[in-house]
Amino acid sequence: MTAILVKALADLRRRRVQAAVIFLTVLLAMATGTMALTLMSQTRDPYQAAFEAQKGAHLQVEFKASTDPQLLATTPAIIGASAAGGPYPATSLQFKHGGQSFYVQTFGRDSAGGDVEVLNVTAGHWPRANDEIVLTRSFAELNNVSIGDTIKVVSVPAQSTLKVVGEVVDIDEGSADLSSQHAWVLKGAVPALTTPGLSTYLMDYRFPADPTSSQLQGYVDRLRASLPPGSITASINYLLIRSIFNITNQIITGVLSAFSVFALAATIAIMATLVTGIVISAFREIGIMKAVGFTPAGVIGVFALQVIIPALAACLIGIPAGTILSQPLLANSSHALGLPYMPSFSLGLDLLLLVGGLVVVSLAATLPALRAGLLKPITAITIATAPRGRSGGWLRRQAARLRLPQPIVLGIGDAFARPLRAALTLVTVLLGVATVVVAIGLPRSFQLINNSETGAGNYQVVINRSNALPDAEVMRILNAQPETARVVALDGENIAVPGISDPVNSRIFRGDSSKLAYMVIAGRWFSGPGEVLAPAGFLHDTHLKIGDTFTGSLDGQALQLRVVGEVYDISNLGHELFMDYATLPPNTPNSDPSTYWVTLRPGSDLNAYIQRVAGTQPDLLDVHPNNTSLIGPVKIIDSVLLVLAVVLFLIGVGGIFNTLLLNTRERIQDTATLKAVGMSPRQVIVMVAASAGLLALVAGLMAMPVGLYLHHLLNDVVSTSTGNDTPPSVYDVFNLFELMAIPLLGVAVAIVASLLPGRWAARTNVIEVLHAE
Amino acid sequence: MSELVRLTDITKVYQGGVTGALNGVSLAIEEGEFTAIMGPSGSGKSTLLNLVAGLDRPSSGSVTVAGSDLGRLSETGLARFRRDRIGFVFQFFHLLPNLTALENVLIPARLKSRVSAESAGRALMSRLGIGEVADRYPSRLSGGQQQRVAVARALINQPTLLLADEPTGALDTKSGDQVMALFAELHQEGQTIVLVTHDPKLATRYAARVISMLDGRVIDDARLETTERKPADVIRVRSEEPSR
Repeated sequence: MTAILVKALADLRRRRVQAAVIFLTVLLAMATGTMALTLMSQTRDPYQAAFEAQKGAHLQVEFKASTDPQLLATTPAIIGASAAGGPYPATSLQFKHGGQSFYVQTFGRDSAGGDVEVLNVTAGHWPRANDEIVLTRSFAELNNVSIGDTIKVVSVPAQSTLKVVGEVVDIDEGSADLSSQHAWVLKGAVPALTTPGLSTYLMDYRFPADPTSSQLQGYVDRLRASLPPGSITASINYLLIRSIFNITNQIITGVLSAFSVFALAATIAIMATLVTGIVISAFREIGIMKAVGFTPAGVIGVFALQVIIPALAACLIGIPAGTILSQPLLANSSHALGLPYMPSFSLGLDLLLLVGGLVVVSLAATLPALRAGLLKPITAITIATAPRGRSGGWLRRQAARLRLPQPIVLGIGDAFARPLRAALTLVTVLLGVATVVVAIGLPRSFQLINNSETGAGNYQVVINRSNALPDAEVMRILNAQPETARVVALDGENIAVPGISDPVNSRIFRGDSSKLAYMVIAGRWFSGPGEVLAPAGFLHDTHLKIGDTFTGSLDGQALQLRVVGEVYDISNLGHELFMDYATLPPNTPNSDPSTYWVTLRPGSDLNAYIQRVAGTQPDLLDVHPNNTSLIGPVKIIDSVLLVLAVVLFLIGVGGIFNTLLLNTRERIQDTATLKAVGMSPRQVIVMVAASAGLLALVAGLMAMPVGLYLHHLLNDVVSTSTGNDTPPSVYDVFNLFELMAIPLLGVAVAIVASLLPGRWAARTNVIEVLHAE
Repeated sequence: MSELVRLTDITKVYQGGVTGALNGVSLAIEEGEFTAIMGPSGSGKSTLLNLVAGLDRPSSGSVTVAGSDLGRLSETGLARFRRDRIGFVFQFFHLLPNLTALENVLIPARLKSRVSAESAGRALMSRLGIGEVADRYPSRLSGGQQQRVAVARALINQPTLLLADEPTGALDTKSGDQVMALFAELHQEGQTIVLVTHDPKLATRYAARVISMLDGRVIDDARLETTERKPADVIRVRSEEPSR
């Protein structure tokens, strides 16, 4: 055993570059894989822990303010809830802070504790007086509101001020950049903050065991049946919140897992290529080893250990590195849930990864090394080296017919001289280029979706009005501005739909909303009353399709609706409805739009417009530019993709480099001969580069359809996880030039990677090599 | 005849070497000569040939071939020099195994120019008696055929100087004789040839001039076409060398 180890270590010292290639590729693959598996195994834990610790509500239901609180007190028994909170009076509160207006659903609640939905006060304290308010930490951080700040309430005529006294984490709502937020005041403070007709009651319910989606729908249906029509105005359940909370990590872990498999596959290909190459070039050495007493297993051990030793070192660094790199994402999850960050990892998982990684590496190294073990000593000594590959002749002849320079012709032939090596190299490069395609395409797809969701390019100004300012007055102000080209006003209503437990959040547009350029996947934009569009999630859950009609319910009134199109929208995981304002019954209370999207005429001064409009009603109008920036989770996914692309690309470059190294070393005698008959150093470099370029070109051309398919697939995964189908335009993010440029870029990088082995080959000492024969 | 090769006070010391492979060698070779360099292993004959071929550089002294001072040429310049001026035939042929015989022959021509030299290559191979094996791979050829392919490769660019390092060393007697006959024929056509061999019979049978080397020095330089020396004398000189 000692002899095997001594020989393997000596060979490792001799083959330092190959050892470095193995070390780096295994390191990258293991770090990526560990990150994916750590995230996958640990992501659910913080949410579950917080949900249990804070006695999260399985179901939250909002009731009209006219509902009898005594009746609401009986609702837990109606649905078999084991614990309940409320009824909490609630109102939509609009306030100003730092020149900006904000909306928060504000609840009257006298303590943060209770049997359900305990609020985790992470800073400050719970309100002790009617002029105090607590906000969610997520909201405070996003909008730079600090404890001690004063906010000015503008949603009621008697404009009062409230002091921010605390920050809480509420397990039952998503982060501020993804969903609307809650705030809390004492119950006694609510009446003074309430706009007539805009108040509700909230009930929180918790059940003995985690209910399923259908059970939750059953509970809401039972409540609906037990209460006067129209009593329920909104509801939300823990499954939706958990999905929203986990969606970023789910997508990231999905992407990481898929590309970790790629990285591992590419690494295995490189190792197999390497061991095969070493065995091929060391026939004489193998013969001598056997002649001096190495057993076949010993010979295999020597070659396998040359891979396993650097791979082990890479695992020992890569696994902890992957664990550490996953921590910021996990810390982010913990922070969002108000949990103290505790380094979260599984020692068992890490050990499993170490063992699994070494088993895979060992197999990848041992199988090609079997050839060395099975060689007969005398054969090995006699022929000294394996027969040199002769494939590639056809390619070489074609290249010669094209009158390409001889170094290029020879390089092209060499690229496929050993078909297995070439195939493994193609796999490595293909995976790298395909990942680059995905890393370029997916952010663009996300950008398109983001543009659609944020109206980028379609409207420039967003205005929110206080309830104290009539809609007509806002329209008068806007229409009076010469720069105003178009105003689309927006109202939000919750419409009960058969088949869906929670009332569906609906966007009600007034004005020419067809110009907003939402992505319509099928059908068309609505053109009249009663026509609606919905995302795939809604259509799937309601078993509706385009052309179907259904009856919704708003404020107890029936709405006859017809689906005319499928739209892309990630809000509420696809449970949304889009319709025209004219669809609403004329007597719907408080249905005046409160948000206005303004498109300016070309050449207008955006800032001047905003200042002028805001100046007309400084307290009652919030006027700001349309924020079209990407949301945080998308930025994280884009960053992860970028890192993965770099990792896979580097592994691909490593694969090319490794193959060229083996080829040039194996063909050193040929190179010496070529130099002897007049090939210049530059021509030698060109020959090696041609070999690299062809491999990269073939792999790149093969990678394009693979990359495009993966881009397609990942778009579908993201769309499906947000309750949508993928719009065709989202797939189509590459132009012809790019489709050609990406493989060519791969060729360019491969040629650069070939320079080092090319230079080594060019420096071949002809006399030493040829006289060593 | 004009002078083609001039070596002036050449020394060559290999890295780590205590004694030089060549120690102050000076000689000249004229155009059209068939020169054999003879000597035992380690005498410096191959080193001398490598210097003339531009495959190596001397530690001191100068090598001039066809008017080019090789010491002044860059690596690229030396490569061009080898490609355009030199034809080199190795003991072990050194054909590229993944190329056919014809492709091997054409390499220097294709390195020099993109103009097809295929017909010239085939004609040359026919002339050397290997036309029928042009499309075969080296492993399918006999040793003699492989060495003829190597000769054809050396001649394809019509070199000024043909260098051969033990060209019959890896061949049986019959094949060796055929290769040497080919050299003689080329010499008769005016080709300047420098042959390195340790076989005095071979040297004297075909070469007009025999340079004997020992321990990095020229110990004898005989022109056999003149009455200056008889072939037997050269053999005698060789046989008088101390055994090594």
